Amino acid sequence: MESSMERFTPDPQEKTEASLMAKGLSVPAELVRTNRKILVVSQEAGFSDSVLTYATNLAERLGYDLIAVNVGPAAGGQGWQAVPYRQLRQAKFHLKACWAMRRVRQRLAAKGLRFEHQVRFGTLRSVIEQLNHDKKRIEFVLNASAASEAEMLGGVTLPVFTIKAVQGKRIMTQQEIRNWKLIGRTIGWGLATVALYAAVFINSGSIMTYFTRGGLYAALPIATVFAFSYIHGTFAHLVWEVLGIRAPQQTVQPRPTAERPVRRQRPQPRLRLNV
Amino acid sequence: MHETAANSVQFIDLNLTSIAFMFIVGFIGGLVSGFIGSGGAFVLTPGMMSLGVPAAVAVASNMCHKFPKALVGAIKRYKYGQVDIKLGLVMAASAGVGVQVGIKIQEWILKTWGQAGSNLYVSLSFVAVLVVVGGYVFYDACRISKQRGSEEATGLARKLQKINLPPMLTFKTANIRISLWFTLPIGFATGMLAATIAVGGFIGVPGMIYVLGASSLVASATELVIAFVMGFAGTVKWAMNGMVDIRLTLIILAGSLLGVQLGAIGTTYVKDYMIKIVMGTIMLIVAVSRALAVPRYLTDLELMRVGPTTLNILDKASFIFMCLALAIGAVIILGAMWRAKAAEAKQAATVAGPEESYGRV
Repeated sequence: MESSMERFTPDPQEKTEASLMAKGLSVPAELVRTNRKILVVSQEAGFSDSVLTYATNLAERLGYDLIAVNVGPAAGGQGWQAVPYRQLRQAKFHLKACWAMRRVRQRLAAKGLRFEHQVRFGTLRSVIEQLNHDKKRIEFVLNASAASEAEMLGGVTLPVFTIKAVQGKRIMTQQEIRNWKLIGRTIGWGLATVALYAAVFINSGSIMTYFTRGGLYAALPIATVFAFSYIHGTFAHLVWEVLGIRAPQQTVQPRPTAERPVRRQRPQPRLRLNV
Repeated sequence: MHETAANSVQFIDLNLTSIAFMFIVGFIGGLVSGFIGSGGAFVLTPGMMSLGVPAAVAVASNMCHKFPKALVGAIKRYKYGQVDIKLGLVMAASAGVGVQVGIKIQEWILKTWGQAGSNLYVSLSFVAVLVVVGGYVFYDACRISKQRGSEEATGLARKLQKINLPPMLTFKTANIRISLWFTLPIGFATGMLAATIAVGGFIGVPGMIYVLGASSLVASATELVIAFVMGFAGTVKWAMNGMVDIRLTLIILAGSLLGVQLGAIGTTYVKDYMIKIVMGTIMLIVAVSRALAVPRYLTDLELMRVGPTTLNILDKASFIFMCLALAIGAVIILGAMWRAKAAEAKQAATVAGPEESYGRV
């Protein structure tokens, strides 16, 4: 059994690493650095959630490391050729990409995956070539950009997989913004709730006189509690949401749909009379 | 006429202690009812009365907070796919009849044996129902948790579902098909209990689980629909008499809307028998609390002689046990949520190492 498995591990280093792990010994740092890796490439300042979930699950399943790279446009030349506007855009791109990765980093750290995030500028081809040189043992590239596979690889021989399934909303960059939005909404609804409570308790004298008159005035307290349950209820919902207490969502791994073979039109047999 | 009714009632002045008390009890009550479908009222009403709120106002204000809370909880749990609206409405309709009959019985007892007799009747029904039903729920929950099994419909429920007595009703979310005639008594009993001890859910939820064969998740979520309908109808009645103190209602609501949502979220984390454990525990502790109140009523009826000091101690102990029931319920819920979350994080942190992926390399 062991000999047959060895065929899958031609690299002798791999064997040492695996055997160390099997014995429960700590793996030396230089071996860790040369663990096998998946490279995920995007040309935007973030990744779509489904691509990242797919990459994460794959890395987790295979026991690979993950490198995510956001590739921004080149800034032009140095010195007198430098374009300040492009540099500003690059700085923004860098900031946005790092910001988006903050949450992802936490998520991956919880899973115990080794993960690295890089922001580079230039063409996809040059960046991948450079990375392949810098980081050893990149096994394959997951393409999360609009570029074709031919555009991605120059002098490097690497398998490239493009995820063609619906990539979902590009939430990685938006997640932080959305989180701020969430906090903003919570504060907004909180203020509305406070305003309602203040309105009732400041005028409690007159409110109590009208609300306890009975008869058709019964509609007043009932309408009030409906209004409160809507506004304060929304606020309460948002409070738990901001605190991260929400029903667990099942993470669904996107499966690339296999293309079905085109059904051929077959000539139907017909009865013919040859007279 | 309404005005005189309202004017004769003293509405209390609020201070910080009473506001804090009601907010916290509202929150814990909301948490418990978001989780098991009912609860909280049995502490809030006596709690408010101990703050000096007249009984009728306490009941009315409590009911007025109950239906929006149930509404918010029901909507939240509906989003998780746990609410069977049809079952809830059918049960609520029969519960409405039960409430009317319950009130009639109460009035008759009040007329025949006076206030003490009525109190004794309430306490005894509390103790009897809670010990029997709560004991069974608790036993069942322990059995499931020991066997590490999952919930199954009881033999009784399966037998009743087989009886084809038209009109047969199909409840899609609860995934049961049963004759209307078997749902009616459960709803009726829920209403009767609600009219007597103000917490119909202690019959309604176990009834839906053990007699109709719904899962405890669906039963507790559906109870919120029943609570909404009954609470709304009750509030209309009380508000027409001008008994609702909107300030009290809103303070309780401030806490309970936070609690009910947390309780509803909690149901998505924990194993389903946790609902039964929480419910059984609360019911048994409340039963103890009500049992402690019985000697006072027996003394009032001159059936028993107990000194006033002992009675005072018993009264206090009874109220403390009541609060304890709610607090323990909340602790179990939060503890279970905490454990479930920790386990989830731990599971997420375990990485499939190369050996797990490939076998031994």
